[in-house]
Amino acid sequence: MTLHRQFSNDGKELIIAIKGKFDFSLVQEFRQAYHDIGEQQPTVLIDLRETDYLDSSALGMLLNMRKSLGKAVKAIHIINCRPEVRSILDISRFDKLFIIE
Amino acid sequence: MNEETLAESNLQVSHDGSALADDVLSALSKAPAAQTLIRVLILSGSDNQACRSAVAALRREQDTPRRRRTELPKPPVILLITDSIKRIEQCRELVNDMLLWPEPAGLLDNRIQVLRHWQDARLELNMARDALAWHANRTEREHQLVEHIFRNALSRNYLDYPHLRTYLTPVSKFNGDLCLIAPGPLGNIYMLMADFTGHGLAPATGALPLSQAFFAMSDRGVSVAEMVTEFNFRLNRLLPADMFCACFLLELSANGERVTYWNGGMPPALQFDHKGKILQRLNAQHMALGVLDENDFDSRVTTFRASPDSSIALYTDGVIELLGHKLEFLGSDALESLLQRFPKPEDFPEVVGELEHFRGEQPLHDDLSLAILQCCATGLDEVKPAIEEISLPFVFESRLEVSYLQRLEPVGYILNALSQLPRLRSHRTTIYLLLAEAYNNALEHGLLKLDSGLKRSPEGFAQYYQLRSERLAELESGTVSIRIDYDADTEVLEFTVTDNGAGWEAALSAPQSEQSFGRGLELLKQLTRELYWEDGGRQVIFTYQL
Repeated sequence: MTLHRQFSNDGKELIIAIKGKFDFSLVQEFRQAYHDIGEQQPTVLIDLRETDYLDSSALGMLLNMRKSLGKAVKAIHIINCRPEVRSILDISRFDKLFIIE
Repeated sequence: MNEETLAESNLQVSHDGSALADDVLSALSKAPAAQTLIRVLILSGSDNQACRSAVAALRREQDTPRRRRTELPKPPVILLITDSIKRIEQCRELVNDMLLWPEPAGLLDNRIQVLRHWQDARLELNMARDALAWHANRTEREHQLVEHIFRNALSRNYLDYPHLRTYLTPVSKFNGDLCLIAPGPLGNIYMLMADFTGHGLAPATGALPLSQAFFAMSDRGVSVAEMVTEFNFRLNRLLPADMFCACFLLELSANGERVTYWNGGMPPALQFDHKGKILQRLNAQHMALGVLDENDFDSRVTTFRASPDSSIALYTDGVIELLGHKLEFLGSDALESLLQRFPKPEDFPEVVGELEHFRGEQPLHDDLSLAILQCCATGLDEVKPAIEEISLPFVFESRLEVSYLQRLEPVGYILNALSQLPRLRSHRTTIYLLLAEAYNNALEHGLLKLDSGLKRSPEGFAQYYQLRSERLAELESGTVSIRIDYDADTEVLEFTVTDNGAGWEAALSAPQSEQSFGRGLELLKQLTRELYWEDGGRQVIFTYQL
């Protein structure tokens, strides 16, 4: 399984972890992952600790998520980026749109 | 002295040939058959020296060294039969039992019987003692072996981590508690506090697979949820039904701000600030490890942002159930107030001192583990792969006809091969991105003639990729060639991606920041050194400096 989705114990965070390759092959699965987010206004944590590969389609998917969730979530954090992933996000100015930890 | 053996009844008789001896011998000749040997000494009169030398002779005879290790010494049981009360007084210390003859009640047989039982019991006791000694010896050797294995298994345990204080006291040589700490690859740190049911060797055995999994997964930087799932899977298969493992697993991010934890059956860890205020109790939300099978197991974690200067105290129930010298338990309130009084890292010896003072001379009843982790930047470096000083130049080239384009995703395929090269490994994410952008442009625009404008809306975005897979499946002809040249001297990779489609006008304008397409080109521009198109957009060439 390359995409793993889980709420935290208190339901205040939705953690979506992507393993290996993050690209358009996950387009449906990724949309599904944040589709049913509930009324609680959770914080979404995109955990990229085990993401080896990503391309611009992954960035597009993240932007679409941000667009479609809007105020339904408290914030979207991108967490546990390896340095290479981090620099790709920085070049794309994602630090202005997401909270990158 | 005369010697006579009554083989049937297994009696060895030493006598002085007196009338008394004749009399007793005739009584002994009626004794029943038996296995156990009894010595009978028959002495008439009251010559003290005669008795002493006769007993000494018997003892000497039976005291010969053992022939084999397994053969047990047989201290002789000696029954003295005499007609002199005075001799009875003299020999009280020398023999095992005495009978004054004549024995009016006819108790000789009973007496011999009792002595036989006694002798049998002595022999059995000796055998049991030797067997115990042998087993104790063997257990000791095995413990030494297991200790050695444990030392090695836990040699990676990073208990010297500068922002950690620990007080770990097992009841026995082997600890049923486990306190593990290991750095992750992102500069993050993992900490595990676990308590197996019971204490001693058996629970410590469960610690082996748990610690091995912990260290291996910390190296890989696996998430807390995935780690506990794996731990539970392993322990559930390994442990007997009445044994399980309460466990607290925690991850602290490199900047020390994000805490992620899973608590299965452990007492609540305490987060407190530097002034000693208890900020929160990290309660158990789950069952211990090794109880539930994988379908019922709940790996949900809790995350929170740790305020700077706060600390988290993890402990096993051995701490709060510590029995004091006044025979009362410490309790969680007392532990909390202890932390309130001594909240600073440098106060830790005071905390330990108070615990030891409370316990006094009381023996420990359970393993005791207390660890306090500071929520601050870990100061640990991200793991950087060792860079090989010399790498080999190479050229990679692949010409992909339509059947390959349809059947596999070539960029991931190529990268899995290239990232095996040590020099390229730490650049694999960037190389993948560059190659994926170039390849996807060639395929999607060159061959499949897809319009990126479709990706403007979220619905269109999904539709675009739906269309991509449909058109790719229907594609009848088309080729994408990928060539990678590596110059080992300058450490420059040159990529050439060529398609035989209709050509493509590369739009080299920067996308607006929230547009979900056009970003690929921008990334290509930013990450490459040279970037240009040839042949009406059918060929893209770019270089990347390692």
